[in-house]
Amino acid sequence: MLEQIPTAFYFFVAAAILPFLPRGTARSLALVVVPVFAGWMVWNLPMGVLVQAEMFGFTLDLMRVDKLSRIFGLIFCLAAFLGNLYAWHVRDTVQQVAALLYAGSAIGAVFAGDLITLFFYWEGTAIASVFLIWARGTTGAYHTGMRYLIIQVGSGVILLAGLILFYVETGSIAFDKMTLGSPGTWLIFLSFGIKCAFPLLHNWLQDSYPAATVTGTVILSAFTTKLAVYALARGFAGTEILIYIGAIMTLFPIFFAVIENDLRRVLAYSLNNQLGFMVVGIGIGTEMALNGTAAHAFAHILYKALLFMSMGAVLLRTGTAKGSELGGLYRTMPLTMIFCVVGAASISAFPLFSGFVTKSLILSASTHEGHYIVWAILLFASAGVFHHSGIKIPYFAFFAHDSGLRPKEAPWNMLLAMGLTAVLCIAIGAFPAPLYALLPYEVDYVPYTTTHVVTQLQLLFFSALAFTVLMRTGIYPPELKSVNLDTDWTYRRFFPMILGHISSAVSANRSRFAAWQKRRYNQLISKLYHSYGPEGPISQVWPTGSMVLWIAIVLGITLIVNYLS
Amino acid sequence: MDPNKPDNPDTYPALGRLLTWVDRPGSLKKIIYGLYVLCATLFAADFFYHKHTYLRVEDIPGFYALYGFFMCAALVVCAKGMRIFLKRPEDYYAPKDVESEPFPEDQLDRVDYDA
Repeated sequence: MLEQIPTAFYFFVAAAILPFLPRGTARSLALVVVPVFAGWMVWNLPMGVLVQAEMFGFTLDLMRVDKLSRIFGLIFCLAAFLGNLYAWHVRDTVQQVAALLYAGSAIGAVFAGDLITLFFYWEGTAIASVFLIWARGTTGAYHTGMRYLIIQVGSGVILLAGLILFYVETGSIAFDKMTLGSPGTWLIFLSFGIKCAFPLLHNWLQDSYPAATVTGTVILSAFTTKLAVYALARGFAGTEILIYIGAIMTLFPIFFAVIENDLRRVLAYSLNNQLGFMVVGIGIGTEMALNGTAAHAFAHILYKALLFMSMGAVLLRTGTAKGSELGGLYRTMPLTMIFCVVGAASISAFPLFSGFVTKSLILSASTHEGHYIVWAILLFASAGVFHHSGIKIPYFAFFAHDSGLRPKEAPWNMLLAMGLTAVLCIAIGAFPAPLYALLPYEVDYVPYTTTHVVTQLQLLFFSALAFTVLMRTGIYPPELKSVNLDTDWTYRRFFPMILGHISSAVSANRSRFAAWQKRRYNQLISKLYHSYGPEGPISQVWPTGSMVLWIAIVLGITLIVNYLS
Repeated sequence: MDPNKPDNPDTYPALGRLLTWVDRPGSLKKIIYGLYVLCATLFAADFFYHKHTYLRVEDIPGFYALYGFFMCAALVVCAKGMRIFLKRPEDYYAPKDVESEPFPEDQLDRVDYDA
């Protein structure tokens, strides 16, 4: 019976009931129980298309369960549980409902077997999630939310256009592997690319995530981008261009992350970088690479949430997440610091932490398929991510110079959520077998070999050495109160500036033209007045003389014309 | 946080008190020398086991170490250079940006550790 209910509906029903529950423990409990229940259901679902619905003559597959969609469904339920536990203390109904609708939409999209269902849930994630940004309630958050919404809904509209063209071309709405080529597939690809934060389409992510509420950012970090990764893995596995897109994605955000001051934005840049690894895996498209993408998405959601949670706790207690304002917090927030370091070690892929057993699948797949330059870029990006997420985040928040702030440790629910996530990060890293068993394909890979452990430790500790040397010599750029221009400058400053110039040029010319016209009319009128006005020369000789003369001339001309004709 | 309040490390949480070791004079030196020794050991390790490699470049002794060190140094230097072109004041996009706004106080829970 329960198999006949799409998993997403649990979340939607809960979202509908939630406002009627009393604020406080009952509501918070519902918020953590629903994802656990949904996750348990997903765990026990049989494979296959379980739920279908008819709409406008189309058969919609609401629940397509296979190994790829199941692992994403599971991690989304887990992320919703951890995020809601972290937000246990929040009493804002809007955020609570939005979190449920958002998680439900993302899970619905993952199990969507056709493009129409995908489109509805795709827009659902966009609309539900923006409330987590608006909930901050400031002018800046309102504008940031609008920018976010325009881009996210835009991605959905492009998906709709792509799906219509795709249907016209193929007669099918099935969401399966596609080949790039027709306009329809390109539009679908572009729509996925926007949500996945492809280079040059990426900046909505760094713009909006740090603008959300303390708990909102944790929830945002899990779903939208990983849904896009899933969609790409489902639709465009083995599409070669993704290898290069992914490689660029791993590369450029690390430069921005080094000079970014807002530590939650640093994490948004490193999120972008980690997506790059997954996109490379999808582009390579072999079984090993796709396993790597799925495994890395799973591990990534956890450690990224953990990092955002620790920075959220710092924000909650100090009122800021900026590197320039923080430092020395380890004294009074030691547990938060330790959880942050676990997240940092996981994203940096230290042995025994989750990133180590998942990222290496993608790197190995790239060497196996002969993409040596891409491999070198990924290796650089691995070192780089350790540099800014692994060292910079914990160092500038919890150590570095003493900011004098002595905040209390994070509240119990945050500590519990962080603790559970940290345990999961270490458990996956130390015992990868259960995660490997969930992957879409058979895993033939041993992460813990002497070579892998030693080389990885060399890479990481020498990166740490570089950080130390640069710090000691004073070359390392200090954290400064500033913003850095990124591609969002084009639509926040450049286009408005150009438009401003064009409109002011047009309006200046218009008014100049109007003034010129007016001047000409005035001149004409004054000339006429000068000649024909009561004082004008014409009117002075007006009555007889000139009249007779003109009549004589006209008669003369008539005479000549008559003679000649 | 009240700056006039006396800062008494003895009242920190136990774990935090333990960790204040890192701020004791001489500790920093110990950490840094520890890192040097660790790095030297890891570099030397390359000569004492059979490296299972796919690429020729991986066979260079200490390849991963050198790559990590120099690429990271290059990363930081390049990023620092980018600041020349990209750095703007915090209120550059204000008021349509959260960067220069204070975080709304009603969503915070600022508490001193000994409150």
